[in-house]
Order: sequence, then C-alpha cells, then structure tokens
Amino acid sequence: MATEYALRMGDGKRIFLSKEKILEELEAGSADAADLGEIPTLSGNEIDKVAEILMMPGKTVSVEQGMEVPVTHDIGTLRIDGDQGNSGVGIPSSRLVGCMMHERAFGADTMELGHIDYSYKPVKPVISNECQAMEVCQQNMIVPLFYGAMPNMGLYYTPDGPFENPGDLMKAFKIQEAWDSMEHSAEHLTRDTIWIMQKLMASGSDGVNFDTIGAAGDGDFFGSLHAIEALRKEFPNIYIEAGMAGECVLGMHGELKYDGTTLAGLWPHQQAPLAAKAGASVFGPVCNTNTSKTSPWNLGRAVTFMKAAVKASTIPCHVDMGMGVGGIPMLETPPIDAVTRASKAMVEIAGVDGI
Amino acid sequence: MASKEELIQELTDAIISCKKDRVLEAVEKAKGVMEPSEIIEKGLAAGMNEVGTLFERGKLFLPHVMMAADAMTAGVQVLEAEMPAGEQKKKMGVIVNGTVEGDVHDIGKSIVSTMLQSAGFEVHDIGRDVPIRDFVNKAKEVNADMIGLSALMTTTLPGQKEVIELLKEEGMRDRVKVMVGGAPATQAWADKISADCYAENASEAVAKAKELIVKK
Repeated sequence: MATEYALRMGDGKRIFLSKEKILEELEAGSADAADLGEIPTLSGNEIDKVAEILMMPGKTVSVEQGMEVPVTHDIGTLRIDGDQGNSGVGIPSSRLVGCMMHERAFGADTMELGHIDYSYKPVKPVISNECQAMEVCQQNMIVPLFYGAMPNMGLYYTPDGPFENPGDLMKAFKIQEAWDSMEHSAEHLTRDTIWIMQKLMASGSDGVNFDTIGAAGDGDFFGSLHAIEALRKEFPNIYIEAGMAGECVLGMHGELKYDGTTLAGLWPHQQAPLAAKAGASVFGPVCNTNTSKTSPWNLGRAVTFMKAAVKASTIPCHVDMGMGVGGIPMLETPPIDAVTRASKAMVEIAGVDGI
Repeated sequence: MASKEELIQELTDAIISCKKDRVLEAVEKAKGVMEPSEIIEKGLAAGMNEVGTLFERGKLFLPHVMMAADAMTAGVQVLEAEMPAGEQKKKMGVIVNGTVEGDVHDIGKSIVSTMLQSAGFEVHDIGRDVPIRDFVNKAKEVNADMIGLSALMTTTLPGQKEVIELLKEEGMRDRVKVMVGGAPATQAWADKISADCYAENASEAVAKAKELIVKK
C-alpha cells in the first residue's frame, strides 16, 4: 500500500492522500487557476516542490534560511481581545497592549490599529477616540503602525446607509437606479476614507491598510482606488497597503473603470497594476479556499494565482494568508500544519514579498 | 432564408448581448420557421445558460444577467401570446432565500437570488441576518417549494440546521426543499443536517433548484 500523507480538506477535515493523488490534485488546482485567470500553470518542478512541502514530516514547516519575509498583521488587535465566537481569544487587553504584544512577542514587522467595527464608515463618529489611541500607540511602539479597516461599501446601502440596496434594485430590473446607487456609495466611501485618514495621519499614523477591498464588488474597488489616489497625492510618503477581499472582483456594477480598465471580473494579476497605479505601496492579493476541495488542490490553485500576481505587480505583494484564503482551510483557528505549509509555498514558489 | 441552426445561434447571441430589441428582432425572425416552444428552449433558454456560464467565469456581470433575463422575458411574452394555453411557460417554482441569523453577508445570497429569478423562479429574498422563524413564516405565506439558506461564517452555519429543525417541527419538511450554500458549507455539511442539496455557486444553485423542484 502506498504511503499516505496527512492533509486536509478546505473545511479543515483531516484526509490522507498518496503522493500520486497529491500531485494530481495540485495539477488540477493549478489548471483551474490557469483556466480562470488565463495565466500559466505551475511547471512540473514547481508542482513537485509544493508536493514536497505538503509531504514534509513535521507538524509545522518554515521557509529556508535567507528566505524570510516581512509579516504584516491586519484586523488590529481583535485577535487578542475579541471574543465574539469567530475570531479572537478573549484575553482582556487594551488596544495598546494588543499592538505591543504583536510587536514584541509575536514578531509582527508592522502592525495595524483598528476599531472593533473594523469598517471605515463607523469610525467617523469615534474619530477622536481613534486619534487618541493612535497617538498613544505611536508613543510606545517602534514598528510602523498603520490605521486599518474595511472599505465595506455595503454599509452605504439600505438598511445600513442612505442609498438603496443595488441588489434589491436589480431584482426589480431597475438597473440604472442600481448603478446610480453604487456610484453614489463609492463617492461617499472615497470621501469618508480620506477624511478619516487625514485625521489619523495628523495623529502620527505611519500609513493605512485597506483591508478587504472589493468586498461589495467593483464599486468598492472603484471607491478604494480613488481614495488611495487622493491619499497618495495629499501624503506623498504615506504607506498604503491595498488588500483585496477575494480573488475576483465581483461585477455588481459591471461598467466601472479605473485608468481605462473595467474593474469587474479582474483577477489578482490584473488587480495589482491598478493598485500600483493608484499609489499603493503594497498589494495584498487573495485566493479563496474552496471548502469542498483538498488542500493540495487549493494550494496549487492559490500558488498559481499568486505567482502571476507577483510577476505582474510593480509593487511588493503581501499575500493574504489566513482562514479560508491562500490555500488555508476555513476554520476559526486555522490548523498550523496547513498555515505553515501554505505560507512556505507562497514564499518559495509564488515568490511573494510578504505575508 | 436563414436555417434553423442559424436562427438558434442568432437567438442565443441576442440573449448574450443582453439587448431586448435584439432579442425581440431575433424572435420575430424565428417565428415563421420554428415552433414557439423550440424558440424558447433551444434559443432563449440556451442563451441564458450561456449567460450563466459567462457570469461564473467573470466575463459577464450581475446587471448584464438581469438585462438578459429581462430581454428573455420580453421574448417569451411575445411567443406565449401565440401558444395554446396548455403549452405556455409554467412558473418554475417559489423560493424563499436569505442569509441566516447573525450573518450580515448579503452579496452572495443576492447573486443567487438574482440568478434564480433570471432562470424563471419566483424568488422572495428576505435579506440577511434573518431570524430562523422568519424563513418558515415566509415559506408558509408564499407557499414556497424551496428555502435557500446562505451563511458565510462557520459560526453562523448552524443556523441552516436550525431552520431545517423548525421545518420538521412545523410539519413542513416533506413539502419544502432546502438548499444550503456559502463559503463554509459543503456537501458533507448538507448531508449531515439533512438538507436536500448544497450549491457551490449561483449557477449550480439554479441547476440544482431546477432539478429538485422538477423532481418534486
């Protein structure tokens, strides 16, 4: 009987696969990415190398010496003090303590201050509190500290915001009204993000993290790119991380363009040049994990997408690695065996500049 | 005179163009050569299937799907006026769709609702963060054939099971099919909670809804 290796499904379930099956799954995952993104598949050598990483005997693995990359941490300190049943370990701590723990104990190369609501719009009424927290953190920390939140354009639609929900409008065949609603929301998203970051830059922030751009589709991407462009113009030295929500920009609007390129339907390697053009310092590409597929299938697919993004990008790519992305299973606490294997593959084969 | 194959291609292309006037023009042209039911099935419906495929591949987008559906409806209306009463297009079925309580994710569910509607289902999208009881009440109110349950978080996934349990308590489980979806859902999860089906994406949701409701 062939040796079988302990791996996982995309939902985290433990599975055992032979080397032949692992190679087969890696090839299928890579082919899927290549087909969707119209990009090259991984070469035979690259597939073999990913398989080798997956079959390593240790519970955790690491990159080869000299290949270490910077690690940027998002979602603020919510993983420490958050206790909402999804993310967070519920350790009572202030945001300052949380940020300093990431800097001094967890080895984060940069850190982000974020609010519990973690979207830009709800930061507006608590901006003074956020500015004060930023100042205090900056006075106590050495690593670059950014302010971060999600553009989350959905908050501008009913029932959370002033503009009618485009999903409802489209179902009523009110296409023009849906387009208008998305365009108005994008304008407000841009305006709010700029206003918030003007305040936080005045309070000493080293930069901004746009976390999960495009979560509400191409309008969200459009509004975020314009915010990035305006912030770069106003603050020439600001560090801007543009992290995506998913692998493909959902075409909720379908007609929005940036720099002459239609935003809907763009894959990571097509998104990266636009983030750079807008003025981002770092691009955060994403590949979603399919919970019904094996970890080799997901990793083969994710590495293929990320390799193409790294090649196309003129700015560093810090790949999004975590629960349900980057070939990692979708579990509240992602299993360490899968996290370290996927991360090693991203650095050594996709060539990402950071995580 | 155009051959049947050419007319079918023209109908399909017209639907993919998402332009109502082009669809109506193609329907008028095909009317004298093909039976209305054939125009609908081989031309218009085939075009909508292709629109679904292009949507899944990121080549066509949500507004385009709705425009294509609107154009198809206009074409079908023209044809139905000429069809015997028994042959007219029947409603595909009634579906209540929503995201379970505690989960505010809206877009994936909305895309599924839109695609189901464009495929001819009567869809009642009851929104996101929907209390368990509301799914059952709405299903009773509209005499639904199916309930669609979306969840994007592992923590809200159990809400799908709770709706199924409530349907059983209410004695409705045998007549209401249940479809589950969302990133953390899998076929194994659907089997575990005794859902009737799991759909990985919007196109699959349409295909499986057709299969289940037709079987029913």
